[in-house]
This record gives sequence, C-alpha cells and structure tokens, in this order.
Amino acid sequence: MSEAEQRRPLFHSERIAEIQSQTQRWQQSCLSEADRRQEGTYVTASGIPVKLLYTPADIADLDYEQDLGFPGQPPYVRGVYPNMYRGRPFTMRQLTGFGSPEDLNRRIKFMLEHGGTGVNILFDMPTIRGYDSDAPQAEGNVGQCGTSVDSIEDIAAIFQDIPIDKVSASIVTHLPSTTTIIFCMYLAMAQERGIDPNLLAGTTQDDFIMETAVGSAPEVIPPRHSFRLQCDAVEFIRQQAPRWNPISYNGYNLREAGTDAVQEVGVAIANAIATLEELIRRGNDVDFIAPRLSFFWDLCNDFFEEIAKCRASRRVWYKIMRDRFRAKNPRSYLMRFHVQTAGISLPAIEPHNNIVRSTIQGLAAILGGAQSLHIDSYDEAFSVPTEEAALVSLRAQQIIQAETNIMNTVDPLAGSYFVEYLTNEMERRIFDYVAEIERMGGLVAAVDKGWLHRQIAETAYKQQKAIESGEMKVVGVNFLRSEAASAQPIDVFCYPEDTEEKQRAKLKKLRQSRDNHRVRSCLEEVRRRCQTGENVMPAVLEAVKARATLGEIHGIYRDVFGLWQFPLI
Amino acid sequence: MPTQDKIKVIVAKLGLDIHWRGAVSVARLLRDAGMEVVYLGNQFPEAIVASALQEGADVVGLSTLSGNHLTLGPKVVRLLKEKGLDDVLVVIGGTIPARDFAPLKERGLDEVFGPNTPMEEIVHKITEGVRRKRGKAAASA
Repeated sequence: MSEAEQRRPLFHSERIAEIQSQTQRWQQSCLSEADRRQEGTYVTASGIPVKLLYTPADIADLDYEQDLGFPGQPPYVRGVYPNMYRGRPFTMRQLTGFGSPEDLNRRIKFMLEHGGTGVNILFDMPTIRGYDSDAPQAEGNVGQCGTSVDSIEDIAAIFQDIPIDKVSASIVTHLPSTTTIIFCMYLAMAQERGIDPNLLAGTTQDDFIMETAVGSAPEVIPPRHSFRLQCDAVEFIRQQAPRWNPISYNGYNLREAGTDAVQEVGVAIANAIATLEELIRRGNDVDFIAPRLSFFWDLCNDFFEEIAKCRASRRVWYKIMRDRFRAKNPRSYLMRFHVQTAGISLPAIEPHNNIVRSTIQGLAAILGGAQSLHIDSYDEAFSVPTEEAALVSLRAQQIIQAETNIMNTVDPLAGSYFVEYLTNEMERRIFDYVAEIERMGGLVAAVDKGWLHRQIAETAYKQQKAIESGEMKVVGVNFLRSEAASAQPIDVFCYPEDTEEKQRAKLKKLRQSRDNHRVRSCLEEVRRRCQTGENVMPAVLEAVKARATLGEIHGIYRDVFGLWQFPLI
Repeated sequence: MPTQDKIKVIVAKLGLDIHWRGAVSVARLLRDAGMEVVYLGNQFPEAIVASALQEGADVVGLSTLSGNHLTLGPKVVRLLKEKGLDDVLVVIGGTIPARDFAPLKERGLDEVFGPNTPMEEIVHKITEGVRRKRGKAAASA
C-alpha cells in the first residue's frame, strides 16, 4: 500500500470546504480592491508566492504522524533529538582564524574563556589551496583572512592547551584535498599528545564543490578527483575517529556565492547522495557512513523561509535515507546541521545595524532546530572580526540561550498554517532540484559541465541588479540612507604583520631538522596511491607524521590529477 | 576620435582569493553599461598584466576579499609600468578597509571601491578615468 493511501489528514474535508468558502467570503467582504490586486505579487526570497493569509485549507492534507511526528522520530521535521535544546543547547561555535597558529590559539582561548562551547577555525587562502607559506603563490595572503598552516607543528600550536578530548573542533578545511592533509595532521597531533582518537569530536568541511565551483582559484583539481578525495576522507575518518563528522556539506558558501535557499539545500543533498553511492560502491554499509554526515546552512533574511528550509531539509533527508538507501540505523536518518548567519547580508554602511540582522538570522536558526551556530560580526564587510565584535556575536548567542526562553519547548512554530505550507513547498522544490541535478548525471557531472557555476553567476547577478534598482531593500544602503550615520568610522581588525616571515622561518627550520629521506618515501607512497585509486589517507597520515608539509603533499595531487579550467562566466 | 571607442575592461580575481561573486556580478553589470568586458577568473599579477597587454585593455579591474590587496594590487601596477602600459586604468574592489584606500592610491591604483559602492559610481569613475587617460595619451602623442 502506498503512503498516500495510508494518510490520515488532521482536518476533516467538510471543515476544509467550509473554511475555503469562508475565506472567499472574507476576501470579498473585508479586503479592498487594492488588497486583492496585490495578491500574487509577494514572494519569498527564493520565489515562492506568499498569500496574505494562510488557513487550514493550505495544509488540508496534513497528516500529523507522517508529516511532522515527534522530535527524535521520523520524519524528524520537529527536530533530531527528543528533548532538543533542553537536553543539549546548541553549540556556540564562533568561526575564528587569522595570522599565525599562535595568534589563533590565543583567540580560541579568549572565546572559550568567555563561554564559547566549541572551536571553529578557518585557514588562510594558501593553506586552503594547498601552498606552503614560502611558495610564490602565497605572496600577500599568508595569515590573511584565516590562519596559516604548513605542517603538523602548526596544528599542534593552534590546539596547544585546548582540551581536544572534551571540546569539539570544527575545522573549516573547505576542500577535500586540504581535508585529507589537515585532518591527518589533527589525528597525528592527538596521537602525539596521547589522546585516544575515539574521543576526538569535531567536523571537517571536505566538500568538492568548494574546490571546484563555490571558490575560484588559479589552479583547481578536476571535479572527479576532488570528489574522490572527498570520499577517501569520509571513509578513512569513519574508520579512525568514530565521533568525528568527516564532512559538512557546505550549503553556506554556495548560498553566499549566489544561490537561493532551494539550490543551497538541493546541491548539498545531491552531493550527499553521490558520496553515499560511491562509498557503498566501495563496499561500505550505508549505516556505517551516513550517521556522521553533517550539513551547513546559511540563514539569510527571509525569516520564515529559512525556518521552513531547516525543517523541510530534515524531512527530505529522512525520506531519501529511508526510501532510496534503505538505511536501518536511526542515526542515518538524522540531518544534523550547523548554521552561520549570512555574511552576504551585512553591508559596510552603518555596520552596527548588522548586529540586528545577524541576531534575527540566529533566532531563525534556533527556531529551525540547528545543532550549532555562528553569528556573524558587525564588521563582516571590513575584515575578520575584532575581538570586541567577535564577543558581541558570542553574547548574541548567549542572550538567545539564556534570556529568551525559546529553548524551553521544541519546534514552537509547528502547526502554523504558513510555516507548514512553506515547509511542504520547500520540500517539494528541494526534491525537484535534486532530480534536475540527477538528470544531468549527478552533481560531479553538473559541476564538470559548468552548470552549477552558471546557476551561481545568474542568481548573484539578479540579486545585485535588484539591489542596484532598489527592488531589494537594504536599510541604510539603498533605502533610508543617512549620510551622517554612514560616515562614522569603526575599529577594523589589523592582521599581525609578521606572519609570512614567521611561517617561512619555521618552514626553513622544519625542512632542515626532519628526516628528508623518510619524507620523500612517504610522499612517493602518497603519489602511488593517487595513481592506483587506493585511499590516500593512510599514506598522508604517515607523511604528516614525518613532517611533510601541506604544500608538498598537495603538490602531488596537482601533479597526478592535473589542473582543471575553472569555468568562466 | 579615440574617446568614443568602447571601453575595454579586463576583470580578474586577484591571486588566491576565492570569492568570485562580486567580480562576476560587476563584470556583467559593466557589460550592461556598454563596456567590453573580459573576465579572466583567478590570476596572479604576471598573468593579469600579460592579458592586459594581449587584450589591449583600457582598464584592469581587480577583485579581492581576502586581504592581499596591499601586496598584489601595487604589484599589478608596477608590472604594467614595466611593460609600458602606463595609460591603463587600474581599479580594485572588495572588502578593503577605508584605512587602506590612501596607501593603495599612493601606490598607483586609480580607484578603490569598497563594499556597497553603487554600480553607477563604478561606471562613472571608470568612464571618467579612461577619458582622462586617453586625453593624456592623445596630448603626449
């Protein structure tokens, strides 16, 4: 029997019919001609039409158990855990990264001393793209926009005195190629500190669309090789560190680059499907891999659409795991996600207003059931946050947790006619978008053809035009602009100036003091595995232990896999 | 009259900066404003200058959001001068703090566009800048 035949709608069909005719009468008698004319002109940020009023007739078919259920139970719309935030408050995980590893270590301690409950670190562009600090390509970027990492010694310095057996660490490696190296550095560092890998909790980003579509670069590894490294990392990390989330499907940066909420979730889910299919093909059980896959959403300004996105994505994931992958382990059904508020929504003009924008977005994340949160700082449009701005962001989270009482009950917006309607609509559109990607042969093929790049460029262009024309209002920028207020300067973070020099000196010393013969043979094993298709990670682990550098290992990837022409739009 | 020629712009992401949204959007909006635009994607300074020479660009537009503007921006200007391309207008945009505007201009960047610069202003300053450069070139010819 199909699901449709078993449905037990919450509302009686006669009552729905009555409400429909009452709604029509109300429209005729209470609304003005102008009100009626405007119907059909309002849409959400992703283009879903919004009516003036929602009633039970808009969710006439709602079956409570099948469509919503109970928290911690299928279809998980109401949340992934039974007691949600009463049992486990969302982790306050502020993203941090700049300068040298020692600089980052000090900022991490500052955030933890002020009540942060997780670590979340970001690297500079040379590290993310696999160049050592002394490479010509790194010029001008060392320690800018993130922290510089060249070797395991740098990872050890970042986590010096941080109790990594107790505090979970989100390591924003962005690319699969970088993840394979930096996770191995983290694992080897933990082993050298005598910490049991079974205790290591955290997340690496490891998303091939970051390598090949969301971020651009002069030298890019081809999509299918980047995807292969993504799967290598997931497989190896599942075997080595059972509490680690090996991947965080990055809807966030895709959204920031230029997509809407539907595309954001659709691409992430298409990537998760591709990952599972590949790892099952390699002989893994779906229920071994899936429980640790995690997701990362961008919460932008359209308040209810973002909440509906969070709720709908949990139901989409559950249905895919149940129907397509036939998963049995209930943990495989749980879509757990981190949220960062929308950097793209934060202008440089009247920057203090950004505290308000980010707080509203953070509130939506909690109403949407996020597991962890980063609230962007008001100085986002200028540089990485000052200590003061970072503290305001942490305080905003603490105020939501401690002062608003919103964590006392689970999924408080459930049952709202509008929110449930929007949740259904988001689900439908996400499934359609995933199907569109699959018709092209899956996400790797869609990226290889430049399709995703065109989607991003088109959305970004449309949104920019809407801002230029004033159709999309930004208070203080293109709407209610005040020249006096916009001229007020704020403190902007200054990067430490000596990072490049310090990192180069450390590298020189490292290359002199290590066993270079051992490094060479470890690197040869990495090369061999790249060529044969065996999982690269065991060889990378040995290489980083031997003090091979990030750039040396990444150089082998570029050499063996070759470079890909990033599609130009 | 050279001043009536279509303005030719090359737009490049500077070095390793990954954020391509702004560069691509501005490139398309410059095209909408009637300019001829070549989008190069990510390039290091040497390659950007080689393209400027090859394309006969009036304008080099650089985009960066990751803090390399003070190092690589002036490097592009220096390499252009070395190739004799003094009459090329060089503009840079992205997350550039206000305190860096003056140092960038001192080092030869013609215009600096911070976040939220209206497109109208970018188009106007590029058009004026090119007119100035072409005027100078015509005068010295």
